Amino acid sequence: MQKDGIGKQPAIKRIKGRVAGLPAISYALGMLVLFIVIFAVGSATFLTRYNMLTIGNSAAILLAVAMGQVFAILTGGIDLSVGGIMSLVSVVLMKTLEPLGFWAYPLSLAVGIAAGFLNGLINSRFRIPSFITTLGSNGIFMSIAYMISIKPLSAPSSSFGVLDIVNGTTLGIRNIMLLGVLIFMLFFVIQRYTITGRNIMLLGSNEKMSWLSGVDIFKVRTIAFTLSGFGAALAGVMLASNLYSGYPTLGTVYILNSIASVVIGGTAMTGGAGGVLNTLVGVMVMSVINNGMNIIGIDVYAQQSFLGVLVIIAVAISFDRSKLSVIK
Amino acid sequence: MEKKKIIEFKGIRKVFPGVVALKGFDLAIYEKEILGLVGENGAGKSTLMKIMTGNYQPDGGQFLLRGQPIVLGGSMEAIEHGIGMVFQEGSILPNLTVTENLFLCHEKEFSKGWFISESAMVAEARKALEENGLDINPTTLCGNLSPAQRQMVEITRLLWLSRLYRHENPILILDEPTTVLLEKEIKTLFEILNRIKEHATVILISHRLEEIIENSDRIVVLKDGDYVTEMPGKAADIFKIEQLMVGRDMVEGYYRRNEQVDPTDTVVLEVKDLAIESILEPISFTLHKGEILALVGLIGSGKEELVKCLGGSMQATQGSIYRNGKRISIKQPKHAIAHAIGYIPIDRRIEGLATDLDIADNINMLVYKKLKSRGFINKRKERDNANHWMGVVKVKATSHRMKCGNLSGGNQQKVVLGKWLSADAEILIVDHPTRGIDVGAKDEIYHHIRQLAKQGKSMIIMCDTLEEDIGLCNRMLILKDGKKVNEVSCPPDAKPAPTDIIESIV
Repeated sequence: MQKDGIGKQPAIKRIKGRVAGLPAISYALGMLVLFIVIFAVGSATFLTRYNMLTIGNSAAILLAVAMGQVFAILTGGIDLSVGGIMSLVSVVLMKTLEPLGFWAYPLSLAVGIAAGFLNGLINSRFRIPSFITTLGSNGIFMSIAYMISIKPLSAPSSSFGVLDIVNGTTLGIRNIMLLGVLIFMLFFVIQRYTITGRNIMLLGSNEKMSWLSGVDIFKVRTIAFTLSGFGAALAGVMLASNLYSGYPTLGTVYILNSIASVVIGGTAMTGGAGGVLNTLVGVMVMSVINNGMNIIGIDVYAQQSFLGVLVIIAVAISFDRSKLSVIK
Repeated sequence: MEKKKIIEFKGIRKVFPGVVALKGFDLAIYEKEILGLVGENGAGKSTLMKIMTGNYQPDGGQFLLRGQPIVLGGSMEAIEHGIGMVFQEGSILPNLTVTENLFLCHEKEFSKGWFISESAMVAEARKALEENGLDINPTTLCGNLSPAQRQMVEITRLLWLSRLYRHENPILILDEPTTVLLEKEIKTLFEILNRIKEHATVILISHRLEEIIENSDRIVVLKDGDYVTEMPGKAADIFKIEQLMVGRDMVEGYYRRNEQVDPTDTVVLEVKDLAIESILEPISFTLHKGEILALVGLIGSGKEELVKCLGGSMQATQGSIYRNGKRISIKQPKHAIAHAIGYIPIDRRIEGLATDLDIADNINMLVYKKLKSRGFINKRKERDNANHWMGVVKVKATSHRMKCGNLSGGNQQKVVLGKWLSADAEILIVDHPTRGIDVGAKDEIYHHIRQLAKQGKSMIIMCDTLEEDIGLCNRMLILKDGKKVNEVSCPPDAKPAPTDIIESIV
């Protein structure tokens, strides 16, 4: 009897072998369909119009932060400070709504953009790995939020009208969903149709070559993290407006959720592969799962471990490990 | 004396989606011989190697090892059967010592109870190294060894392992073993291989045919996944082999000498007293429009650093550079690019290409500004530009959306060339243009270089062999120990002999 050589391959490789040649995004699409079917069968309320709107609502917020995160990851870095930025932005928004009215929005966004810019600057100029830079700055942003207000801040009732920018409806569609679509289009265009977007891909794919080809890698890296800050700021104002409040831990869960969305969508953690479109699908998967688990009544604490397992499986299936010589 | 067959392939066949890598041929490999395996990229050499090391399973035919049909499940199983491979990039861990590398994963051979005897390991390492005539301290970190020494450690490891598994005649496969070695080290390598041959089979893959001819007992030529012919080593004729490999005549003149044109008088680049502290003494030279200037010298001559200064990846400590008569300053690669100076690096995969991205991304990366309409990059312009330059440099690919990592070395080089041409580079620094490229593609690269010169592009080249330098260039600068020692003119009808040049190099 001859030994079967295929039997030597790890299980993952065999699974991948069967669906080889499919782009990473198709795994995520498959997962999306699978979970929709599971939840639709498991619960009568999952496919209702009301529930779809709920999913859309939370997806729009996750989308904003993940759209930023994917740029950081495309350069081969990571942004662990999106949670801190969201929290800080939410507190700034609630604090300034009363005196500034509408202008609290641009101000809050500017704070998030500045925070991202700072990350980028520290990461590129001082050559500190983004993992460390943003791990540290996440704490700083949260601490500033605490310094502004240790207690949760609520929106003053006089400003409920202003919050309609996010909470209202236009032509029968919720504004938050329209914002989600606009944000997606904006980041999609930045990635695919601008030189900066292309340079971010180049940088993530091969930094040395990019430099030799005249790419200003400091600038590009800084822009990538600024975009990440911008995405987190958008998510921060959307979530705060939605909740009519802001507090210093508001964004914390979005650190894992944004990274998970990017990875489930099939963007390589090593950079240079994947992108905004992949992340859109990853966000949908995450939103459907988060919602579905609530609907079919999985214990809130058990949900966390299920999500953790899912992220690891998603990476196992979709992550392009051929680029890595060593898994760290 | 009739030699015993150690490996025999009968009708060996391997098919990949869309391509037949091995067409089902017979080949025997004998004990105690050095077999040179030659063929263009894609001829099937590496597929055959990977079958021998258990990385691929044949789709048809038989693979007999020591007379027995065998299926190997991976490199470890291959090693247990006495087949080992030394890879081009090497597989030695630089953070471990020589001893640790030698016995990696086999430390239990030296265990006493629960512990491993360090001293027994070192003693065994010393013995194993000495047997192969190597003067390497077994306790040094491999990161401190020269590439040549690391290779020797790898060979020693494979031989030691085959003895551990009690194989009389191990099979050693070497893939392009000499690319990272210096002239002197190459000589030592082959001396050692010839000694190993007394009790082993050595299979050699190399693009350097001179080496193969000089050192192989037998040469097997593969082409398009099929066996073409074989011949005894030593007496083989290099041109004959090249013809067999490519399958067409290459008589039109090596290095396309007949296409060489004389440069114009216009000086496009002038270097005045450029120096790098403790590396390069002040050097001055000019480059003319349409000229091919070869920089010749050993490693340490300063030529690599000199071109880095021109390309912007290194900075000179003194001196000046003039472009079309105007003084320029190059502090970063982007400055060089702004002055239409392009750099085609020696290591395409690391410095020249984004291998995960597609051909279009790679060709267009320098010219996105030109591919915009109404502020945004235009997909159609992008595609047209990529297709245009793919056509000019004749990249063989199914589409401009093909990943560069999946292209052959020759086609990758053409993509890099296309990228710089697309950016209208007037001066090209070409660092080892034909490194790791097979004969057929080499000729195409020569053709491109000639065409570019004809169009008035100027080039500074550094080649794999002195013959290539002489054959390609109009003029050569010879550097030695950081100094310019000679300048030789190389017109097509009166090329200097390599022996004359070597005198000034060493």
